[in-house]
Amino acid sequence: MNRKLAIAIYIGTAIFFALFFVYPIWHTVKEAFVTTDGGITFAYVIEIFQNPVYVEGLVNSFYMGLFTTILSLVIALPLALLANTWNFKGREILNSLILIPLILPPFVGALGIKQLLGQAGVLNSFLIDLGLMNADAPYDWLGEGQLFGVVLMNALHLYPIAYLNVSAALANVDPAMEEAAENLGCHGLRRLLRITFPMIMPGMFAGATIIFIWSFTELGVPLIFDFSRVTSVQIFHGIKDLSGNPFPYALVVVLLVFTVMFYLLGKWLFGREIAASSGRASTGRSLRDASPVMNAICIGAFLFVTGLAVLPHFGVILLSASNQWYDSILPADFTLQHFEDALGHPLTLNSIGNSLKYASLATLTNVILGIAIAYVVVRTKLPGRQLLDAMAMLPLAVPGLVLAFGYLAMTREGQRFDFLILGENPILILVIAYAVRRLPYVVRAAAAGFQQTSVTLEEAAQNLGCPPLKALRKVTLPLIAANLIAGGLLAFSFAMLEVSDSLILAEQQQHFPITKAIYALVSSLGTGPNIASALGVWAMAFLAITIIGAGLILGKKMGALFRV
Amino acid sequence: MVSIQIRGLEKRFGDVVALNQLDLDIQSGELFFLLGPSGCGKTTLLRSIAGFHLPDSGTIEFDQEDVTRIPPHLRETAMMFQSYALWPHLNVYRNVAFGLEERKVSKAETKERVEEALAMVKMEGLGNRKINQLSGGQQQRVALARALVVRPRCLMLDEPLSNLDAKLRIEMRSEIRRICKESGLTAIYVTHDQKEALSIADRLAILDGGNIAQVGTPEDVYRRPRSALVAGFIGETNLIKGEVAFISGANVYVKTAIGDLAGRPSDPDYPLEPGTPVTLSIRPECLSIETTPPARNEIAGHLTESIYLGEVAQYSLQAPGREEPFHISELNPRRIIRDTKQKLYASSKPEDVMILPFS
Repeated sequence: MNRKLAIAIYIGTAIFFALFFVYPIWHTVKEAFVTTDGGITFAYVIEIFQNPVYVEGLVNSFYMGLFTTILSLVIALPLALLANTWNFKGREILNSLILIPLILPPFVGALGIKQLLGQAGVLNSFLIDLGLMNADAPYDWLGEGQLFGVVLMNALHLYPIAYLNVSAALANVDPAMEEAAENLGCHGLRRLLRITFPMIMPGMFAGATIIFIWSFTELGVPLIFDFSRVTSVQIFHGIKDLSGNPFPYALVVVLLVFTVMFYLLGKWLFGREIAASSGRASTGRSLRDASPVMNAICIGAFLFVTGLAVLPHFGVILLSASNQWYDSILPADFTLQHFEDALGHPLTLNSIGNSLKYASLATLTNVILGIAIAYVVVRTKLPGRQLLDAMAMLPLAVPGLVLAFGYLAMTREGQRFDFLILGENPILILVIAYAVRRLPYVVRAAAAGFQQTSVTLEEAAQNLGCPPLKALRKVTLPLIAANLIAGGLLAFSFAMLEVSDSLILAEQQQHFPITKAIYALVSSLGTGPNIASALGVWAMAFLAITIIGAGLILGKKMGALFRV
Repeated sequence: MVSIQIRGLEKRFGDVVALNQLDLDIQSGELFFLLGPSGCGKTTLLRSIAGFHLPDSGTIEFDQEDVTRIPPHLRETAMMFQSYALWPHLNVYRNVAFGLEERKVSKAETKERVEEALAMVKMEGLGNRKINQLSGGQQQRVALARALVVRPRCLMLDEPLSNLDAKLRIEMRSEIRRICKESGLTAIYVTHDQKEALSIADRLAILDGGNIAQVGTPEDVYRRPRSALVAGFIGETNLIKGEVAFISGANVYVKTAIGDLAGRPSDPDYPLEPGTPVTLSIRPECLSIETTPPARNEIAGHLTESIYLGEVAQYSLQAPGREEPFHISELNPRRIIRDTKQKLYASSKPEDVMILPFS
């Protein structure tokens, strides 16, 4: 490619990142250390660690991240090992079904979990019916503090990331590595611990990191559970009195520092990249045919996990179709009224349109930026292109909440970027926020495509008289279309589900995206939760279509999208 | 060191028969080669002996002990993989020590034996290296040391040299033979490189479509192939179809499209009588090129190609009545003939014309 164009792309992307990634973070950090009269102070940050409420929030956030990560791995690891060892009936389908929870909005699911495990919920009603529980003193499963419910919901949402990473890592292990151990007398669990685990550790770590960062700063789920003693929710509530209150800023900074620290610690402990030996793999991984018992175990495990993960959302569907559902296993009577209401309600119809608009524009931005960045990184010898690559991956390591907060701060009235809020319309800043957060997936997808497509194909076109950019358009882009579509679909569905940016940046009802509309409906009285559920079901229907499309196009390679 | 007896071994993958009722005996302390085109079943056979494939039927015995159903980790074989399969998370020492750790060998003895094994493959002092710091040749040596150090009942080598460059390959194959012989190992070596097999094998088996086409010493298989397939796979040859005309003493005269040729049956027990259809095999180096008609086994024609390689001259001679030209190699050529117009003759001694079953 034309060197000038490459440099232009490099500089353009760098400016984009400087403005919409570095600057918002910097702005937040600055606010946390600057007093009203312009002096520099550490008092706010120190105050965070002296205030027991904030300290408890941080500890709970850490638990939320840690337990979610552990539980996700506990769920995903056995499944990935089964699917990479045995050829059981329906393996392909179950392999895709297991990924579905990733695109089910977790904070919608949280509504379902409350319905299932709440004090007047399904499980208790069931136990009371069986006579195993005293109807007068129902047990509170979600417990004091609701951390258990939040972790469960998060893990049931995020385990597909671990599953994809572990599967991809397992698929990359030369089967001869395991056979060599077997051949030298190392078998079964011992082999798993001595050979397989160390070799898939980097892949496992990559998945665990994303899950940890994601759940450490998760906002939507604890919000629905009314679990306010975590940092993310404290920050969210702090926004209301943002002017003059430095503590939300200080909290965001502390959150960011902890995230980076945990990431580096994890990378140092587990993430050391293992270079493969130079020999080429002798055989592809071949699956063993499962015996009837093994068939039953595999299918059972997959169906159990998928079922469990979908259960909250199934609860949501029931909730959306129920008139009254309280102290009973199934709703007392059903109605489709809420779905109609959901479409008729001015708030909801608007929000669906808004979300589609924001998400599509963000996806378009992502695809264009993704192609440009991936091209520069893979196809040019520009010095510093690795830096560009690393930069494009950074949004994965920074909590969405932190960025959302930064955007809010930098577009406040009187700030340098307040023109980004067009009148009161947050469309520009929301599209930018959505795009920045999802850019890593699209860059990874496009880069994988460029790496798999030999540059000689383009050179052949140029050699026959096709100018460079036209060669890119006519030869390479069609060849990597599948990657781009899959990356784009993923970016789109995550944008549709976005919580932090949506909740924080959309302030007027007519500009609410779906997620904020659901949040608003949940907190309203009457049939609000039912209509919220109905809206959630509509959103899930949209997303199911997109992600199944992505899965079909990319197949196994989807794991590559979730690496830091 | 074990001897290995294989009886009626059969393995299918779906509809594909990888091993077809195969019988084979490998002697104790022998360096035995499995050779054949890709897809012939040689790797399947090796992996079955190591226990990675469970055969559909048949038995594998180590010293008359049936091991057919014993899982790989209890068979005490040691395999050297084509990709080496060195574990990147362990250093050289830990890779080599792995099998001894599994066998619960004491720390002190492990250290001693690992060092001995590394010395045997000329890698002494490199135990602390990481796998990705090694060259291809060094990785190959470590893989060999890892297999040798456990003193296996049988050493298995799966195309161990295929990832090396030509010069290193020649050097390493002599090394492998030296080490096997020094340790008195029974070793099974899979390759598709006939030079490797001819140069260092005690005996070799040619596999074809899951069957054993021929077993024998390298000289045996090269000089007395039992089928056109073996003759064509080991070395180069010219094949001529024909039928037996008459038998006179040791010589059998065969009527072919390019005239009568006198030859000898490759297998002395091969029943021949006038009218039997046969295939003749004449190696290029068994043919000599002449400008005047020879006394016997005359093949007349015109040159289509002459290649001068210094120590050898290669000719392609087109004989009428035949589509393929004859390939002729002349060692120590005093002159090279390039004239394509001139009528030339090739001839061969009857004992160099092998009579093989018709195919």
